Amino acid sequence: MSGYIESQPLGRTSAKDDAAGNTQATGGTQSHRLRAGGLIDRQAPLGFTFDGKAMTGYAGDTLASALVANGVKLVARSFKYHRPRGIMTAGSEEPSALVEMRTGARREPNTRATTQELYDGLVANSQNRWPSLRRDFMAVNSLLSPIFVAGFYYKTFMWPAKFWEKIYEPMIRRAAGLGKSAEQPDPDHYDKAWAHCDVLVVGAGPTGLSAALAAGRIGARVIVVEEDTQLGGRLLGDGGEIDGMQAGEWVRRAETELEALPNVRVMKRTSLFGVYDGGTYGALERVNDHVPVPGPHQVRQRLWRIIARRSVVAAGSIERPIVFPGNDRPGVMMASAVRTYVNRFAALPGRQVALFTNNDDGWRTVEAIRRAGGEVSVVVDSRGQVPVEYQSVVKASGLRVLSGCVSDVKGGVDGVRGVVVTGADGRRQEVAADCLAVSGGWNPNVGLSCFHRGRPAWRDDIAAFVPGDCPPGMRMVGAAEGTFALGECLRDGHAAGVSAAVDCGFAEDAGSAAEAGDEGYAISPLWQVQAKGKAFVDFQHDVTASDVTLAQREGYESVEHLKRYTTLGMATDQGKTSNINGLAIMAATTGRSIPETGTTIYRSPYSPVAIGAFAGHNRDENFHAWRLAPSHHWAAARGAVFVDVGLWKRAQWYPQPGETDWLQSVSREVTTVRNGVGFCDVSTLGKVDVRGADAGTFLDRVYINAFSSLAVGKARYGLMLREDGIVMDDGTTSRLAEDHYFMTTTTAKAGPVMQHLEFCRQVLWPELDVQLSSATDQWAQFSIAGPRTRELLQALCDPAEDLSNEGFPFMGAREVKLRGGIKARLFRISFSGEMAFEISVPARFGNAMAENLMIAGKPFGVVPYGTEALSVMRIEKGHVAGPELNGTTTADDLGLGKMMSKKKDFIGRIMAGREALAAPDRQVVVGIKPLDRHRRLRSGAHVVPKGEKPGPDTDHGYVTSVCFSPTLNQWLGLGLVTRGRERFGEIVRIYDPLRSEDYEAEICSPVFYDPEGVRQRG
Amino acid sequence: MGDFSWTSQSPLQKALVPGVHGAGSVPGVELTEIRNILLVQVMARRGNAAAAARIAKKLFGIEPPSRPGAVFGKGVALVWSGPDQFLVFAPQGDGSLMERIADAFAGIASLSDQSDGRCLIRISGARAAQAMAKFLSLDLDDGVFPVGAAATTSLDHTAINIWREADAAGETPLYNLAVFTSFADSLYRVIADSSLEYGLRSS
Repeated sequence: MSGYIESQPLGRTSAKDDAAGNTQATGGTQSHRLRAGGLIDRQAPLGFTFDGKAMTGYAGDTLASALVANGVKLVARSFKYHRPRGIMTAGSEEPSALVEMRTGARREPNTRATTQELYDGLVANSQNRWPSLRRDFMAVNSLLSPIFVAGFYYKTFMWPAKFWEKIYEPMIRRAAGLGKSAEQPDPDHYDKAWAHCDVLVVGAGPTGLSAALAAGRIGARVIVVEEDTQLGGRLLGDGGEIDGMQAGEWVRRAETELEALPNVRVMKRTSLFGVYDGGTYGALERVNDHVPVPGPHQVRQRLWRIIARRSVVAAGSIERPIVFPGNDRPGVMMASAVRTYVNRFAALPGRQVALFTNNDDGWRTVEAIRRAGGEVSVVVDSRGQVPVEYQSVVKASGLRVLSGCVSDVKGGVDGVRGVVVTGADGRRQEVAADCLAVSGGWNPNVGLSCFHRGRPAWRDDIAAFVPGDCPPGMRMVGAAEGTFALGECLRDGHAAGVSAAVDCGFAEDAGSAAEAGDEGYAISPLWQVQAKGKAFVDFQHDVTASDVTLAQREGYESVEHLKRYTTLGMATDQGKTSNINGLAIMAATTGRSIPETGTTIYRSPYSPVAIGAFAGHNRDENFHAWRLAPSHHWAAARGAVFVDVGLWKRAQWYPQPGETDWLQSVSREVTTVRNGVGFCDVSTLGKVDVRGADAGTFLDRVYINAFSSLAVGKARYGLMLREDGIVMDDGTTSRLAEDHYFMTTTTAKAGPVMQHLEFCRQVLWPELDVQLSSATDQWAQFSIAGPRTRELLQALCDPAEDLSNEGFPFMGAREVKLRGGIKARLFRISFSGEMAFEISVPARFGNAMAENLMIAGKPFGVVPYGTEALSVMRIEKGHVAGPELNGTTTADDLGLGKMMSKKKDFIGRIMAGREALAAPDRQVVVGIKPLDRHRRLRSGAHVVPKGEKPGPDTDHGYVTSVCFSPTLNQWLGLGLVTRGRERFGEIVRIYDPLRSEDYEAEICSPVFYDPEGVRQRG
Repeated sequence: MGDFSWTSQSPLQKALVPGVHGAGSVPGVELTEIRNILLVQVMARRGNAAAAARIAKKLFGIEPPSRPGAVFGKGVALVWSGPDQFLVFAPQGDGSLMERIADAFAGIASLSDQSDGRCLIRISGARAAQAMAKFLSLDLDDGVFPVGAAATTSLDHTAINIWREADAAGETPLYNLAVFTSFADSLYRVIADSSLEYGLRSS
């Protein structure tokens, strides 16, 4: 709200139209549409349906204004009591007029009719009613209201406890709750974007426009966000005169000027919903909510992260209801909303309007209704006197003015029929009316100022909270800051715009602010009318005044307790129209002042934001980024089944025609490798180039074993610990030159290890001459394994390359030439236990390498194998991997304790010596074989001594990795078992309560296959 | 057995479909994959940053940037990638450039050949900045990110390098994005999807 009506509202109603005839219908269904005026386009009629009934409106309407124009009062049923409800406001604070928009997959519940733009073909339905809005069976809840009071869940549905999940909760959920969400995936696209500016202006009412013009004129990069479809704020509903012209004309000129400034961007249909650290603001742009279906490639909504050096928040204020019996009847409307419907939308909410106010501003409604040709049946002012500037009007027109309060509202599902007024002397009288305009004063919109835990401050003169400490860089101004006079708003906005721009380094020369009058605003607060009947505080959550006093009686006096006990302010409107009234009633009940009672914490989002907008592009297959191995497309073309390993998509196995089961494919791949040759893309392993004169020293410190002693042309298995002595990662690292090592890590730990190495290099030992670079993506690396590997490689490599055991011994590493002219790195390392090499070529040759390995290996029956076969072979060979390197195991637990060098220091050495980490009864890696050879072993199963009852005291460990070994023709596993290495041969109980399995197994050496390592050295 | 053929492949072989996509008839965004690049990460040995810069100047005719930025020479761009290190971007050519670089920096800087480790995507067009606002948190305003600006930033939570070159014909800005090869398929999808609204021409 800002400024008084001094002349005409924004609509183009001329004096001629002020005749009573203006209230007549304009034809069609719009019985309550004025003949002229309003910011609607009468040349653009739009058809829509509400609950299946066809109606029309005009471009420029909201769904709410179109319903008002069509004389519709009943639009919803309330949350708990299913009370008939109408339209209360004309803005985003609307608590009552919530509807289901659209149908099918696009169905969207709880849409505020007051913010939904009308479009041709719009389909809306009322919600939370059965079988119809007029005859709602669940309205019986209203009769049962004594049991639905605050805290009713806790009191009524306590026993028996088992009834809660099956009976009580489903019953309550069916009975309460609002609309139903769509049951199919949302077919629309949403996206997210960033924007940057010097000055962010929130709200484009007179204050915001004044700030934007000031900052924009002196060159600051300005973004203006406005939740409405049009600029102007309260000027759209209340008009006024600025710089000697109609407010509407001033707004149009301001908009034209802002559009012409290249450094200013105006974003309409955009709500600011959050304030985050570092000057980051969240905003939601409703790009295509005003069309039936977004155009091809268009988005429905866009979530903005705006990074601003300064912000000027001119978010305006919200008119406050008064709590009295019947204040929720359809047709009871905020006075400012009545004026907005009349002036902006040329729609008359009632032909016989009663007004109930406790402040001067409410009186403006009289003029608006009369100019539109409506009748003001009574003005009820709780203060007992007519404001000075209205005294002549009252006298001249014979306006009926009563001193007192509205103590009841007569009417039914079709809305208000009359109001009961109780005078200061206690005398009651009934006055006929079909609409009741209510003004309880104005609450500055302090929400955004409080998102960093700022607490608002109370001002007695306006009976409202104003912003306290704002987040860094933010300034609240205008009505949002408690300044209601139009002239003052324009001046303050201008000053705030200049000051924000100056803070960003721009010159101060912004000219002067636009001018307008500074009328006063007087209020005597009235929160609640004491009378019998249901008086609502929170309309969306059906919290009444008696719920608040009940909460107090039951000991919930703190506003935070009040909120949780009654759910006051916890609906989707976050109590925009109810919080202050609720705490004022609590203050009165407890005999404290309002500031003593305090407010609850304000949290984002300011207004509801669809989850889809937060997700943006990141849904379905785009949920997160993915990584493809260099031979991915080759593998896909061969029908490989892929598995997500971290972000990577890895070939899990390659089914062949006739194979019906993954185990068949995997077993074939293992058997082929063990008896012939196979290859697997292992490019996903982390690869790090470690270079520099001190590279060897560096590696000595990060690995538990020595690397400075490694000869050029050799590879070595390495294990690194965390600072706390627990194993971090393992891999083979080769020395390719005196000052160049090539490290590999596990797939899962590639990122963390790189981070760790950079930390060591930059922070721990900056004196070392070491340079690191990730080479993971540079190389396509394949493991080639099986007894016929050498033959395959001889076909692939230049004949001059000596691949014999002498020419290329186990753990050798060097560059080789391949037939066809390219070079590769060859490493003789084995994970499978077979004679094996790993070969790397630049990633661009990944596909070609896979194809050429198939050609070169064809005579030997080569197969590609996936991660499952890889895993089977490493378990058969007793190699540890992720399930054993699980962040709880030490080197010794893994059977690798002897690798810990005693000749040098390394990360984790001291901490690994801690008593508990060196205790003899730790769980260590062992092999596990079920006694029944046909029994499927499962990981996660517990290891319990034979004959013992499973429990925490008898739990001796668990199975970590399992596989079906086609080589040994039975299921095998690795496990972590207390004192495991001393227990080879012991029969234990394998207990798996999750799968209801209980059987016996033998603990054995983890190396099931070729324990002497003959095959890999052959 | 005869020789094998070693056909090189782009990480965008599936994702990038050349042609015009998305809304409208006049593409607002142009996406081009720059193939066959030479990309070398040059990391000065300890205490040798100045010497490495001198060698770069001799080799490429330009000083490497000492702060985030890109410097352009004849057919080469040097892009800052961290303290005392930079990236060399040049056409792959006959492969002799890599040898010359290796010889010149021997003992002075460590080199890491990343020619296959990154995929280079060029973005231009009248609506490019609008599309990029969807996946980059950077302020791309002319005053903040002018020609020669460079940054290491994230795209869909993934590290990338970006730098701005001299504007393309028609005076629309031109940006280069170097993304990790294994992420290229995924990130290209993000970039293309972000551009469809404005019309997209890809090549």
